[in-house]
Amino acid sequence: MFVLVVGGGKVGYYLSKELIENGHEVVLMEKDRARADQIADEIGSIVVAHDGCEGKYLGEAGCARADIVAAVTGDDEDNLVICQMAKHHFDVRRTIARVNNPKNEALFRHLGVDEIISPTRMILGSIEQDIPVHELLHLAALGEGELEIIEAHLQDGSPAVGRAAGDLAMPEGCSLFAVIRDGVATPLRPDMTLRVGDKVIAIGPSECEELLHEQLIGDDPEAVTPRR
Amino acid sequence: MSETHPPTFRRAVVALAGGPGDERIVRLVSELAKPSHGEVIAVHVVEIGWSLPLDADIAGRSEEIQSILDAAEGVAESSKMRLEAVLLQARDVGAALVDEATERAADLLVLSLPYRKRFGGDFAIGRTIPYVLKNAPCTVWVVREPIPEGEA
Repeated sequence: MFVLVVGGGKVGYYLSKELIENGHEVVLMEKDRARADQIADEIGSIVVAHDGCEGKYLGEAGCARADIVAAVTGDDEDNLVICQMAKHHFDVRRTIARVNNPKNEALFRHLGVDEIISPTRMILGSIEQDIPVHELLHLAALGEGELEIIEAHLQDGSPAVGRAAGDLAMPEGCSLFAVIRDGVATPLRPDMTLRVGDKVIAIGPSECEELLHEQLIGDDPEAVTPRR
Repeated sequence: MSETHPPTFRRAVVALAGGPGDERIVRLVSELAKPSHGEVIAVHVVEIGWSLPLDADIAGRSEEIQSILDAAEGVAESSKMRLEAVLLQARDVGAALVDEATERAADLLVLSLPYRKRFGGDFAIGRTIPYVLKNAPCTVWVVREPIPEGEA
């Protein structure tokens, strides 16, 4: 597989190294000449010392025949431009972008980036799993990002506590499908009464997050934190 | 190095650039190889841009490239020496030459350097020779071509 990696920082460097070790053909674009030379000294002549944001240089780096373009620079704007050019100008089958600011995720998805990797979001998710939160926890995005899997940890004061799952007014297109109780995951039946400590797993479009929050967490304004 | 005995080597790799310097270095190495029956390998590297796969059929089809190798063989023959001509496709000429010299266990790598100036007047050495000087495991000779008349 031919992979074009744009950005020769730590991520780009180790990504390229691993890909080469796994037998893939790799070219790495890094606009800083000194850094490009340093990488070439370490992993061989796979480095193109040009700016991947310029279509001409993307073309020279073989973008048109790349199976995958991975834009992993430290700038979201650059990563977006690179993926868009790769996708729409060079017809690259799969584009992957590093997104540093989680607020940019939706924009990247909307503009056709196939896969987005947000280290910030991953770390945030990991932290949120370990602390009690009075809000919804995003577990994963599905498809093009229009659907999300969300977890709600029911606390004292949640309007859902003591009610049957089937009695909750769910937003359209959104459904509750599992509950984690005492560490055991079970399918959520409509007659199941929800308790404090339950972790309810829901799937739905990101637009229904506010209503879901209202039903499962409550509408305490201090507990509502905008997620995107 | 003794003044009366020319340097000897077992196996030399000569880098062909397709310029007038090729004849000079092939003749030089062939003459030096004679007494010690050294082996001479002439390598021409065709740099393939990343827009094409490395195994794209480029070099084999080009008459110009074939003529570079034929000319080198002709020069060696005129010195009554046999020369192995090798054609390589690579992403980077310097890295390919160093790899070839390493694989062949060559004890000498010879390159020619045309006398060129950058815009502004600075002498231009390019990027292949610095790479080879830095990375080749064997002895490296760089034969610079004479300064063109009028520039000296």
